Amino acid sequence: MRLRHFLTALAAFGLTLAAASAQTADQYKGKTVAFVPVALGYDLEDGWSAILKHQADKLGYTYEVRNPNLNSDVGAQAISQLITEKPTVLVIQNPDVQVYSRLIKKAEKAGIHVIQINMKSVAPSDYFVGADYVQLGQQAADMMVQKCGAGSGKSGKIAIVQGVLTAAASVLQMQGIDAVLSKHPDIKVVSNQAADWDSSKARAIMQTVVQQNPDLCGVVGFWDSMDVGTGSAIREAGKAAQVFLVTSGGGSDTACTNIDNGTFGAELSYDVPRQGSDMNKDILAAMTAGPAPDADKVTQITPLKVLSKETIGTTGCWTLKQLQAAAG
Amino acid sequence: MPEGAGPGLRSGQAEPASPARVGLAERLTEQRYRLFPDHVVGEILAKGWVDNATPFAFLLIVLALFGSLIPDFFSGASLVASARQLGEFGCVVIGQTIVLVGGGIDLSVGSSFALGNIVALMCINLAGLPAWAAFGCTLAASGAVGLLNGVLVGYLRLRAFLTTLVTLIIVRAVVDVLLLHEAVPISMGNSNSAVWDWLGDATVAGVPFSLIVWLVLIVGGHIILSRTRPGWHVMAVGGSRRSAHNAGISVRRTVCATYVIAGLLTGLSAFLFAARLGSTGSETGSGLELSVLTAAILGGNSLGGGRGSMAKALMGSITVLAITNGVVRLGLHAGAGPLVLGLFLLLAIVVDVRWLKNRHKILSKVYISPAYQRLAPPASAAADAGTPYAMNDKLADVEVLGLDRVDGPEDVIFDRNDHMYTGSRHGDIHRFLAPDYTRHEVFAHIGGFPLGMAFDRDDNLLVCVGGMGLYRVRPDRVVEKVTDETNRSRLSINDDTRLRLADDLDIAPDGKIYFSEATTRYEMNTWPVDALEARGNGRLICYDPARGSTRTILRGLRFPNGICLAHDGQSFLFAQTWACSISRYWIAGPKAGTTELVIANLPGHPDNINRASDGTYWLALVGMRSPVVDLSLRMPGFRRRMARRVAADEWLYPNINIGCVVKIDDGGQVLDALWDRHGRNHPMITSMREHRGYLYLGGILNNRVGRYRIPGADPDWTGIGSYWGARA
Repeated sequence: MRLRHFLTALAAFGLTLAAASAQTADQYKGKTVAFVPVALGYDLEDGWSAILKHQADKLGYTYEVRNPNLNSDVGAQAISQLITEKPTVLVIQNPDVQVYSRLIKKAEKAGIHVIQINMKSVAPSDYFVGADYVQLGQQAADMMVQKCGAGSGKSGKIAIVQGVLTAAASVLQMQGIDAVLSKHPDIKVVSNQAADWDSSKARAIMQTVVQQNPDLCGVVGFWDSMDVGTGSAIREAGKAAQVFLVTSGGGSDTACTNIDNGTFGAELSYDVPRQGSDMNKDILAAMTAGPAPDADKVTQITPLKVLSKETIGTTGCWTLKQLQAAAG
Repeated sequence: MPEGAGPGLRSGQAEPASPARVGLAERLTEQRYRLFPDHVVGEILAKGWVDNATPFAFLLIVLALFGSLIPDFFSGASLVASARQLGEFGCVVIGQTIVLVGGGIDLSVGSSFALGNIVALMCINLAGLPAWAAFGCTLAASGAVGLLNGVLVGYLRLRAFLTTLVTLIIVRAVVDVLLLHEAVPISMGNSNSAVWDWLGDATVAGVPFSLIVWLVLIVGGHIILSRTRPGWHVMAVGGSRRSAHNAGISVRRTVCATYVIAGLLTGLSAFLFAARLGSTGSETGSGLELSVLTAAILGGNSLGGGRGSMAKALMGSITVLAITNGVVRLGLHAGAGPLVLGLFLLLAIVVDVRWLKNRHKILSKVYISPAYQRLAPPASAAADAGTPYAMNDKLADVEVLGLDRVDGPEDVIFDRNDHMYTGSRHGDIHRFLAPDYTRHEVFAHIGGFPLGMAFDRDDNLLVCVGGMGLYRVRPDRVVEKVTDETNRSRLSINDDTRLRLADDLDIAPDGKIYFSEATTRYEMNTWPVDALEARGNGRLICYDPARGSTRTILRGLRFPNGICLAHDGQSFLFAQTWACSISRYWIAGPKAGTTELVIANLPGHPDNINRASDGTYWLALVGMRSPVVDLSLRMPGFRRRMARRVAADEWLYPNINIGCVVKIDDGGQVLDALWDRHGRNHPMITSMREHRGYLYLGGILNNRVGRYRIPGADPDWTGIGSYWGARA
């Protein structure tokens, strides 16, 4: 079944390649795509990077990645630097909604096409590829209502573990959650804290929350890599059966493993291979669009998949190795 | 000899031996030591700024490395992009440097920075304050963290490392609480301050605003740290708290102030950062303390305190930012940046520790740099040699004055009332009262080691004080500094403006004071080492009371020592101890300003020269030459090896255990010699003064003054009378 998933991903590559082969390959020579993630070393960013690199290798343009490693000042510096180097396309994952906004405007003014991936800035750019986090928040909250709300016979107490508070993923997801929970007074948020995408922080937070609320019913975590920590705190407290943890992420094998072993109740997944190929399409579009970026903003929303014990059998998860192998 | 191989040196050199006896190898040696100024190496190592050499080399290596790895590392636009960040980062490094120099360490800068950042953003985005008010709040917030550190470390004397580690955690927690409540509203809010918006992206003539702020702070900080009282206080406290306290510095207040300054600078930096990025991310400032500390240490600021400068802060900041940005631009994987930085920090600490520990060792090995000197064999002083120097026992039964009451009477002099004055090692000028010189008192306390003395026209006692300069003691015992500095030589590496070892003086009829400085490379307590070098390290200096100016008139002299105005007032005779010669410097007449050799190749090392009643001069030979030392002077390499490998008390020094007094005339004829052959009373004589028919003998290592009756001398003649006439 996982194979089929891969075939779709490969088909997506194939499409982009077919589009590319219509042009002469030379047209991409000397062009550059630069990627500034929040940090490398996580399934999400490494997955995107592998896919971006694959197309670059195929078509002969340069691909480089600058790793700020969770430090937005370093990231800002890297982007400032890149603006002076003038790559054709700049792919940015915003660590928060504000920090790169001025730089994104500056980059576009300098004639660089900017693709924002997954997490938006307040400054819009030509391209955005990513999940609809408001909807994601709503879905997560709906699950909480379903599992813990009136009629479920549970306490109705839930906890929220945010990422970086000002990251788009946190801000928008909270909007979605708030929208649902405002209609459900039976759900009580007993803790709403930020773990800054850090699994050890998440674990520390959850250890306290579970002690303070022995009858906790559900947890909304904002990112699977971080919520590995959240889940382990719950399991340590012996509450894995009682507390339902819903998280979200790129749907890599980490997700499947943790759903399998019961750490995650469910994961709302935005499909990384698909996001990668969406970005690759945008890159080709940007490269052929001529010197000035288009005035039109292109937004590609990644559809959400629900991964749970019931569904992982059919959809499966991806691994970085497979992505790199498929790409290589 | 970098410069100033003046007439003094040339004429001061001894006559060379006949050419036939000097081989080619030795001639090459002579030229090699004449052409290559070896002593420069030691003098450079002795400089304060040599601490900067390693960090500077480091900076160059880092820049070269990343410059070659990254194509347009040095392009203008790329530099501007880095410079903005450099300005912000550098401000924090300045603060850390000041704390380090004061002997502390501030780990809380990262949290303090985050606090400043969020306070600034709250003021602008939430409270809608104008930029200046937000600036004030930011400084207040970060300054308060500094004050907390300062009170805890400075006044309550807690350990800086642990204390600031705790404030790091506490302030970070405060920031986290603030973030939880305010981060989202802040990131949704907007500023309505034009100044704020300008600050974030400001350039002045193409230079980022923050860089300009930083450079101004560097220059200002350098002036404060190196040229002002508060800066010196910080240096002193960092160097040694106890000594600083004993010197009357308020250690607690100074330490506290360094932390407050660091806090304020962190606040300034946070304000600029907030204006640039508007980021409320919780990672703001995290790990900043590590990179700031790395920058400060990598720049060469010592962890132990007391050693540091703004130049070091500057170099360290650039190096660290080049590394962090370079690593990111190379696209290295997560953790590589901190890893590389950590390794550099480790390296910097190792270099810091090893350098501090070994610097003085290296210095002591290379500072002594012998030069080549060739002296012809001297006339014999054997008792039966038949030369004027022949040994005798004329001083065998001199009368001993002031036994054990003086320690080191280098010079002896008499005033118009026949009272006798001598210096002592303890920094006093003693007065022995006429007529029997049994009663004595401390006439004045100066502090340094009083050496040569002379009375001026108005009965002021002028004294050369080793380690201090030229001083004047008025008849009412008031001590005044005459001069302690002269003009700097253009090419000298040692700062030779200060007088290290003013040795002897005499006064011209027009009131100008001519004095010798024996060496500019050694201090009062290490002067014998200068003998090992046999280089012209000394000079003759003139102080002009009319203009209040001090000028060096002759350089490159080999330990110029005694100086005496000739009886006709037209010239000075001066002795060069290691050159074993007497020269004459003309101050009047047709030859004014020139120097000529009077006696070369003395059998001993000349010291003070003073007038004799019969129109001739007394000359003290502080020690006698020996063939071994003479030979070693022709072998600079041998002496250098000796200085490096053998303990100092085993070195081959000129013999200063036995000497004599000789009498010379204006033409350089040696007329007589006075010896204490058995060395019971006066083995070492550094000076002698004739007064009313007696000769009084001083010695820098003696505990007495000797009195010798000169047969046939004028019983009414006095030195002061011979200079200034009988008082009306």
